[in-house]
Amino acid sequence: MRIRTPLILGAATAVAVSALSAGTVQAQTELLIWHMEQPPHRVDRIQELLDEFNAANPGIVVRQEPQNWGEIYAKAPAAVAAGNAPDLLFAIPDFAPLLQGIGALQPVDEIVAGLDNAHGFYDAAVEPYAYDGGIWAVPLYNMAISLWYHRPMLEAAGVTPPETWDDWVAAVETLSTDGVHGIGLPANRHLYTDQTTYALMVNAGASELYNDDGTVRFDNPETAAALDFYGRLFAFSPPDAANWTWGEAEACFASQTCAMILQFTVITTYDTQTDGDPADLGVVAIPHAASADGGTISYSNGVMLLTDDPEKRAATEAFLTFLMEPETYGRFLNMEPGLFLPVTETGAEADSFWSDPMAERYRPQIETMLENSQAGRLFGFTSGNIFPSIAAISAQNLIAQATQAVVLDDMAAVEAASEIQERMEDAIR
Amino acid sequence: MATPTDRQPPRLDRRQREALLGFLFITPLLLWLVATIVWPLIASIHLSLQDVRIIGTTSEFIGLDNYGRVLGDDRFWGAVGRSGIWIVGNAILQTLLAFSAALALKRRFPGVRVARTWIILSWIVPTVVAVVIWRFLLNASGGGLINPLLITLGLTESGVGFFGSGETAFATLVVINSWRWFPFITVILLAALLRVPSDLYEAASIDGASAAAQFRYITLPLLQPTLFVVGLIGTLLSFNVFDVIWLLTAGGPSSDTTTVPVMIYETAFKQFRLSQAAAMSVITAGLLVAFAAFFVKVAKPKEAF
Repeated sequence: MRIRTPLILGAATAVAVSALSAGTVQAQTELLIWHMEQPPHRVDRIQELLDEFNAANPGIVVRQEPQNWGEIYAKAPAAVAAGNAPDLLFAIPDFAPLLQGIGALQPVDEIVAGLDNAHGFYDAAVEPYAYDGGIWAVPLYNMAISLWYHRPMLEAAGVTPPETWDDWVAAVETLSTDGVHGIGLPANRHLYTDQTTYALMVNAGASELYNDDGTVRFDNPETAAALDFYGRLFAFSPPDAANWTWGEAEACFASQTCAMILQFTVITTYDTQTDGDPADLGVVAIPHAASADGGTISYSNGVMLLTDDPEKRAATEAFLTFLMEPETYGRFLNMEPGLFLPVTETGAEADSFWSDPMAERYRPQIETMLENSQAGRLFGFTSGNIFPSIAAISAQNLIAQATQAVVLDDMAAVEAASEIQERMEDAIR
Repeated sequence: MATPTDRQPPRLDRRQREALLGFLFITPLLLWLVATIVWPLIASIHLSLQDVRIIGTTSEFIGLDNYGRVLGDDRFWGAVGRSGIWIVGNAILQTLLAFSAALALKRRFPGVRVARTWIILSWIVPTVVAVVIWRFLLNASGGGLINPLLITLGLTESGVGFFGSGETAFATLVVINSWRWFPFITVILLAALLRVPSDLYEAASIDGASAAAQFRYITLPLLQPTLFVVGLIGTLLSFNVFDVIWLLTAGGPSSDTTTVPVMIYETAFKQFRLSQAAAMSVITAGLLVAFAAFFVKVAKPKEAF
């Protein structure tokens, strides 16, 4: 059979054109997100939202890779150095300066401004990421530690929810009976202990970790008082609390071995792992010293942009616009109901946030958490000052080490504050 | 003018050909060693002479400053001391466990084959899984197995916080690490024990030697080469253990379980002093080489070398 040359040429051209068109259709902007929300149900919820976004935006593919807070301080700079960093990386305020300091971050001022116009960011959520002439992360959600308690246990013991430190220690003492610990506080060399310790420091009037000139002021009477009080409470904690992270504290609370704990939230574990009635779950602001106003540790989590590719930047803007839309945002926050609080005005009113079945059941508790978060502070980001060197202090868990010195090594609180002050000075040298 | 004969390559005799062949065989290994040991060591030394803080950043040459800082740091020597105690503690416990297990498994009893296989289980379990298991076992606030057992036996009135003080945390880590590693040593010792000719024991029995005497005069001498290798490698492996410690205590409480590897990691990735950590690594490598040389000189069995 004879095959004509023009026919062959025509067929070849058709194949080439179709290949080119296929190439055009397949050209997609890929975004890789690293986040530290590892629990499977959170990963599932994020994936659900990513699938929706990817389906609605055929030119963009967003992927997630969950990471670990314990290792991300080491892993992220290494990934940047190796050239395989993600495009987007979740952050807390004291983590962002680490990457900003090595020039790994892109400013996100315009993205934040656009989302602010549409949804109204709370100023406190943006401020910790605004320094050195830029905004270095887009706030996503807020977190605040509160005092959680089993209402029936307190009622049975004739104890009212404490407001001051004197009330608190008396309540803990009363609640500590056979098999029950009045409170569960961690003393691990871990971010959780940093946070619970700082929460007490705030309530002792020691929220400032730095002087205005950037020198450390950890060694002061208020900090020592907070460390000393932590030691008094820790004496009533379970013996293995020295090794706790967030999960063990929640487990202790869920099993009713601990009558109270300091935690961002316990709603999910309480609801899913106990037969508890929502009305029996109590939450109040953290008690304060007589000499100080109340407060807590609170901070916004954000997402940082590491890529300088304009297409990826545009894709990021599209993705975050999708994520912060009220009908999406509440579902994002409710990947862990009651833990992640809105950072925008529209988010705080979003049906998608309040209509979650668990959020509906625990609405009073979530409202209390929101209220507590209004009095939130974060070490290194207080009084309008921002000290990026806090990243080195935080990464070493030096606040937790002060706590360990007092509660595990029986060091006097004043001495521990002094010793850790030196360590902090060395860390930021 | 060159003749065709002049252009022929010189012929190698048999000995030269064998030497060349041997060299060709070991070249890949040498290249591998250069790539994985020599080059990283040179890179570490180079890094230790700078002041690099965060990985990926650059710095100027600062000479031996980092070495001075490390050698003058009490915390570093504290970590060296803890590493020494860690090695001794692990060596004693692992040797006892491994010897007992190997001697037991050497005997023939129903199920010994299964036991010989499954003894290795705790060694092949991933570290993270082992840590989760032990966290559960040691839990003192609802659940757990060891604390309820201790309370039931009347050994304690309330739960024990195994990580609540430096001493107990360190001892607990030694136990957990030994639990993980003793099966590995057991398998090596068992293999050596099974190679000891049974007629030696039979002859000793006929001569009236007790079991202890047989162990002292037959088993131990014949196991010496194995024990030497296990002692050297085991010590170095033990020294370098990082994962179990980091996952269970992160070096705490305070710095009571901060061994040298933990301190190096902390310095590099928590304090962000990569060059200082490199100096620690170089010093540590020197200490380990010195130890290995000393160990070989003192402990090498004469028959084997």
